[in-house]
Amino acid sequence: MRKTSPARHRIALAASVFALVCAPLTACGGESDGGDGGPVTIDITISGGEVSPQGERVEVGVGETITFDITADQAGGLHLHSSPEHEFDYPAGESTHSVVIDNPGVVDVEDHDLGIVIVKLEVR
Amino acid sequence: MIEVLTHGIGGAADLPIPPQLAIAGAAAALTVSFAVLALAWRTPRYGADSPGRPAPRALAAVVDSPAFRIAVRALGLALTGWLVWAAVAGQDLRINPFFYMFYIHLWVGLVPASLAFGPALKALSPWRTIAAGISRAAGTPGRGLRDYPERWGYWPAALGLFAFVWLELVSRLAADLAPTRLWFACYAGAMILGGAVYGERFFARADPFEVYSSLLARLSIWGRHEGRLVIRSPLANLATQPARPGLVAVVAVLFGSTAFDSFHDSTLWLNLTQTSSTPTLWNNLALLGFCTLTGGLFTLATRPYVAELAHSIVPIVAGYIVAHYLTYLVEDGWFGLILMSDPLSDGSNLLGTGDLSPTYWLSSQPTLLATTKVLAVVTGHVLGVIAAHDRAIALLPRRRQLTGQLPLLVVMVCFTVGGLYLLFAS
Repeated sequence: MRKTSPARHRIALAASVFALVCAPLTACGGESDGGDGGPVTIDITISGGEVSPQGERVEVGVGETITFDITADQAGGLHLHSSPEHEFDYPAGESTHSVVIDNPGVVDVEDHDLGIVIVKLEVR
Repeated sequence: MIEVLTHGIGGAADLPIPPQLAIAGAAAALTVSFAVLALAWRTPRYGADSPGRPAPRALAAVVDSPAFRIAVRALGLALTGWLVWAAVAGQDLRINPFFYMFYIHLWVGLVPASLAFGPALKALSPWRTIAAGISRAAGTPGRGLRDYPERWGYWPAALGLFAFVWLELVSRLAADLAPTRLWFACYAGAMILGGAVYGERFFARADPFEVYSSLLARLSIWGRHEGRLVIRSPLANLATQPARPGLVAVVAVLFGSTAFDSFHDSTLWLNLTQTSSTPTLWNNLALLGFCTLTGGLFTLATRPYVAELAHSIVPIVAGYIVAHYLTYLVEDGWFGLILMSDPLSDGSNLLGTGDLSPTYWLSSQPTLLATTKVLAVVTGHVLGVIAAHDRAIALLPRRRQLTGQLPLLVVMVCFTVGGLYLLFAS
């Protein structure tokens, strides 16, 4: 009588895993390239320690110009956790700042003093 | 005007993995789990002390030679000395290499080092070197003043690991020099004192980084049998991990904290906590919750064989940690290497690495990156399920061998799918 060897089981197993993992992989080649190339503007309001928006996700493209329109009741600074990082100061009142991110990833835009994540840029 | 800063820890996070990939990974994990249950062997293959095959004689001769050991110990001392120098004499800037050496080279670098070379931190440990030096000077063998209480098991290491992930993920102190330096000083003090009191065993049970490293080393091909250097399959090697108190806690902290790291940066959690007046409290509770949930689920699913089965979760943890930290290790770790040339942040280039440029190659290949991450998670899951099956059939009575494995299998699938979900949703 012939018994199926454990080694054979293992090979069959490995093959089924491989097939399962690879089949969908080959199917997802055509991803969208994220941003449509148009400029992205993000309005930020900071007053009395309250920040708006908070933690919102914004999709942008690699190399796209992102403009922050900031209205603040006092001066402060924003920190972009990109690689490499960016940071800039904003004055009290209205101001506009632009930034370009060169590498894909999720970039937290954080207020320096308040330690609050204002938006998360999904850079594709 | 926008000013480009020097790169610091906490750069961009990875893009979420595509949903198709997450689903494919989850489906593969599920299928493999039940395939193993239905098809795999019915008699245990991996004993607690498999002989393996002897390593090539030349290799064993080098690894076991005093010169090699001394060289590795010297390297460990030199790296620690460099880290301490930057920590004590360096400036409180994000380009201080202390942060990189501690949070990336040590904490994340020990993962590939241990998977590739075995118990790397045990070999490099400066605390072991110092303890050996002290006992040599005192003329006593390396046994310490009293025996390490075996009932403590790995609990001190689990606490140490929790203290580390708390510092890194919750405390909001991780980017400041003084508190990070203080943490490291307390750790060093505890290791030197503990080693003096309890001898070498203390490091193997209580040094959080060494315990973590030695646990992952069980997934390497390197082992010892009757003192000889041997080569085993990672599964055979993993089965040699002794069941000790606290092993589940160690694994739960590692997995729970990594999951929390993904979760606490999610839009959902930010919305919930940022508006609260006590966000740090919520983060503390969530970190504790993730670790407790991991350990609790595993314990519930494996009773009464909790410690005997704890090793099987190690590959799942390893796969998820590799996926979670890959970019961080490669890109920020590389940047840390550049910064190491300038420990005092005065523009010097002491090691000659200061002229290298940062790399963003991996993060600029999102598809390759996401595929690698999912493969790491699925590979870890497959190894974990096989390890659990092999141990379960050795432990369980014959008629319960299939049904008895189901709870653990379900928990493993939950961990893997949960990990994939966080890689997709964060």
